[in-house]
Amino acid sequence: MMRWLMILTGLCAASICAAAEVTAVVTDAAGKPVADAVVAFYDGKTTALPAGAGGKVVQKNKMFHPKVTIVQTGTKINFPNEDTVRHHVYSFSPAKKFELKLYAGIPSDPVLFDQAGVVTLGCNIHDSMIGYIYIVDTPFFAKTDDKGKAVLKLNEGHYNYQAWLPGQTKPGVEQKITIEGATEVKITLP
Amino acid sequence: MIKFKHIHSRIAFTFLTVVVLIQLAGLIPLKYALDKHANQLAEEQINVGERVFVSLLQHNTQSLKQATQVLAADFAFREAVATNDAGTIASALESYQGRIHAQIAYFISSHEDLVIGTADNEQALFGENAKEDAMHAIVENQRGTLKFDIVEGKPYQLITVPVKAPETIGWIVMGFAVDGRLATQIKQLTHLDVTFVQKTDQRAWQLVSSTTTPELSNLLVKSVADIYRQKLSLHRVNLNDQAYHLKIRSLHETKDEAFLVVLQGSVEPFTQDLNTLFKVMLLLTFIGVLIFAVLIWYVSRKTTEPIAALVKDTDNIALGDYEKEIQVNSTDEVGHLAKALNSMREAVLQRSLRIQRLAFNDELTGLSNRLAFNQGVHQAITTHAQSQQKLSVIVINIHRFKPINQTLGRDFGDDLLRHVGQVLKQNVLSEQDIVARLDADVFAVLLQHTDQAKATRYADKIQHVFEQPVSVQGQAIDVRTGIGISLYPDHGLSEESLLNHAETALQESRAKKSPWIVYNTALEIDQSETLTLISDLKEAIQHDQLLLYIQPKIDVTTRRALGGEALIRWVHPEKGMIFPDQFIPFAEQTGVISDITNWMLRRACQVLAGFKKQGLHITLAVNLSTRDLNNMEFPEQIGHLLSSHGLDAKSLKLEITEGSLMQDPERAEVVVKKLAAMGLHLAIDDFGTGYSSLAYLRQLPVQELKIDRSFVMFMDKNSSDASIVKSTIDLAHNMGLIVVAEGIENEYVLNQLARLGCNEGQGYFIGKPMPEKDFSVWLERWEGQNEIDIDIGDDLSYDLNPQDIEPQVQDPFKLDHLS
Repeated sequence: MMRWLMILTGLCAASICAAAEVTAVVTDAAGKPVADAVVAFYDGKTTALPAGAGGKVVQKNKMFHPKVTIVQTGTKINFPNEDTVRHHVYSFSPAKKFELKLYAGIPSDPVLFDQAGVVTLGCNIHDSMIGYIYIVDTPFFAKTDDKGKAVLKLNEGHYNYQAWLPGQTKPGVEQKITIEGATEVKITLP
Repeated sequence: MIKFKHIHSRIAFTFLTVVVLIQLAGLIPLKYALDKHANQLAEEQINVGERVFVSLLQHNTQSLKQATQVLAADFAFREAVATNDAGTIASALESYQGRIHAQIAYFISSHEDLVIGTADNEQALFGENAKEDAMHAIVENQRGTLKFDIVEGKPYQLITVPVKAPETIGWIVMGFAVDGRLATQIKQLTHLDVTFVQKTDQRAWQLVSSTTTPELSNLLVKSVADIYRQKLSLHRVNLNDQAYHLKIRSLHETKDEAFLVVLQGSVEPFTQDLNTLFKVMLLLTFIGVLIFAVLIWYVSRKTTEPIAALVKDTDNIALGDYEKEIQVNSTDEVGHLAKALNSMREAVLQRSLRIQRLAFNDELTGLSNRLAFNQGVHQAITTHAQSQQKLSVIVINIHRFKPINQTLGRDFGDDLLRHVGQVLKQNVLSEQDIVARLDADVFAVLLQHTDQAKATRYADKIQHVFEQPVSVQGQAIDVRTGIGISLYPDHGLSEESLLNHAETALQESRAKKSPWIVYNTALEIDQSETLTLISDLKEAIQHDQLLLYIQPKIDVTTRRALGGEALIRWVHPEKGMIFPDQFIPFAEQTGVISDITNWMLRRACQVLAGFKKQGLHITLAVNLSTRDLNNMEFPEQIGHLLSSHGLDAKSLKLEITEGSLMQDPERAEVVVKKLAAMGLHLAIDDFGTGYSSLAYLRQLPVQELKIDRSFVMFMDKNSSDASIVKSTIDLAHNMGLIVVAEGIENEYVLNQLARLGCNEGQGYFIGKPMPEKDFSVWLERWEGQNEIDIDIGDDLSYDLNPQDIEPQVQDPFKLDHLS
């Protein structure tokens, strides 16, 4: 992701406009900061997926790492099994249904996530394993830290933005914002 | 307090009460503890049953849940759910429902946008509240609680299991009907009866299923309603007369609905054993108390038996049986009591014997007394009445006993009486005859089976014995007796009349100086005649039928005439001359004596006044009676008489007897002292016949002592009489008194008296009592000639019964007379 940001930053600085740092703070209804929430900004233009983009969700200690993964639409993700036991990773989510039948090590083919949405990852063997992949149609997204804070470098301009929380089937309401310089955005999840 | 007739009853009752109370004090708490224990056991059973029940339910739930989870975890099923493949889901549920024997099977997606189910009962699945119930079950299962619900009027246990992919994407809800199977299963494990009851839509409680009889379960449903309302978890109820513990657990409860399980344990099995135990205890206690009662009864009886025996003995004593000795068998307190009673009995016996002796015996002589004699006569009369035989009562009197007693001493008198008693006793005819002393010198003899001849023979014998002088205390003394005899049934039918008649005869014997007299009715007539005389006497005083006689009195030494003693005679218009001894005693009794004394005093004063006119200064002695001495106005009356006749007080001498003084000594003393103060000359008459003490006499202002004629008359022939006279003279002189001797009948006696120092004298030798005019003649003659006119038989002394003058001469012991 840092790499993408650096690319983006490079692009902005080189050609079009000045880049701005945007800090999004996500809290729940009670005002508590929410960690691992996904924040996405849309500029209205479909940005092409950088070539060779891909990711992986590792299964280690019978857990998905990272638990929440954000990718741009069209990204291929591999599910390497670093445990000694085998896993049967599956998703019944409408955004991407797939099943990696009992396997160990690195599967030969990564899975392509070509539809925006949330994919809930499970293991048919280990009920406790749960993970999320967020597929967004934008390159501008971030995951909140423990303090509910996520920092993005965006070019100044008009954006729509929204936040999601893992486990929530629907994303939060899309809102509009104009970025001019460093901006702090407060998002409250229902 | 209860009254007991016997001590042993009291002891037995007290101890038994204590024992019974102690036993009760033990048994009542025991009964209470046993009941409590039975209750606790029953409670414990039901509590254990409840825990077993809960764990059974949890176990059941767990296994049902696990079975359901198998479906929920099935990848294909999950795929079908994830892909919303309703047909597949429905068929999977249907096949699973059958496999795990569930009556209801649901699937509800997380977003509640899909509800698929299958059920034995279509209503249960698609009924009004079916989905809602399922949702409740899900929520409550998530909380971990068991979920029961009433679905379409039937209770179910609802098991919910989430379907995860891997997030929860839906729920499988399985419903298991709660029915008899579950109840039976619980009963097998807990040994408690199980009843399920429910209430729906505010309708009444109804029975779902039960392991008890329908009758009992119906009763149960009724009581459950109450218990549920009071929110009691554990309750004891009586159903069909049996005690049960009920434990109620609510399995499902909403506003309108309730589903309860009632665990029911009978208390009976527990109480039965304990009741048996208690009954055995009760029986043992009863037997114990019974044995104790018998023992206590026995012991207390044994303890009090000797007391009862003592009570019986004392009852005997109370009845007068003092002879029987009380047995002393023990050395304890009762023994001591028996000993004490025995000594008491002994003392009472001695005392009663003494009282008997005193009551029936004469202490002095050891003979019977009047009472015993009367009883003896009474008894004899009874026996004689049956045998128609005669018996005789003889009364014997010793003449002259009083003076003998007085002069020779009481000891001597007592010995004499004993001797006489002895003589009488020695001469009785049979052993049954009784000799008694009735009075001082009066004896009585009862002779059984005797006629008059035998009785008079006895009297003669006695008479004969006493013809010889009797030797008492080494001193010979002549004893003369008077004897009166009465016979049964001739002279009386009762002991009183016999004795009275014998005494009358005795009086007669004394009066007639005959050795003995047998009672006859003529004696009675004499007496009644005397009585009629009394009524005539008052008339005699008024009509001057009385005469004054004077017996001369001289100086013994100089033989000079001094005067005389004024005596009375009554000339009855029909009966002629009556002597004083025939009316004076009765006059004394009736009070007429006062009039007689007054008459005498008046006449004496007249006579004295007459002599005074002639220049003769003589004195006259007048006898006073008891009544005069008790009359406080008497001295005044005399004073009046003297002054009205112009007489000197010294010319009148007043003679008083000891007896008249003793009647009311204090009054008499006052009167006597007054008389003395008036200058009147006082003389004690008949000295020696009364019992007055010399000490008393000395107090009185008396100047003269007259010795009774009975001592004087025969002092020339009887030495003891002479010594009595001598000692009396000495005694009187020592007290400074003049001594006058009565009854001088010959010159020898007169000389003898002169030798003994006697001052004055009177008697037949000097002059008999004579009328007033004869006295003047005598006086002239005596003074002139100084010779003695012996004219015995010419006149009569009032002292002597004229009929007895002849015998008197023959019998020198004619001493007893009235004066």
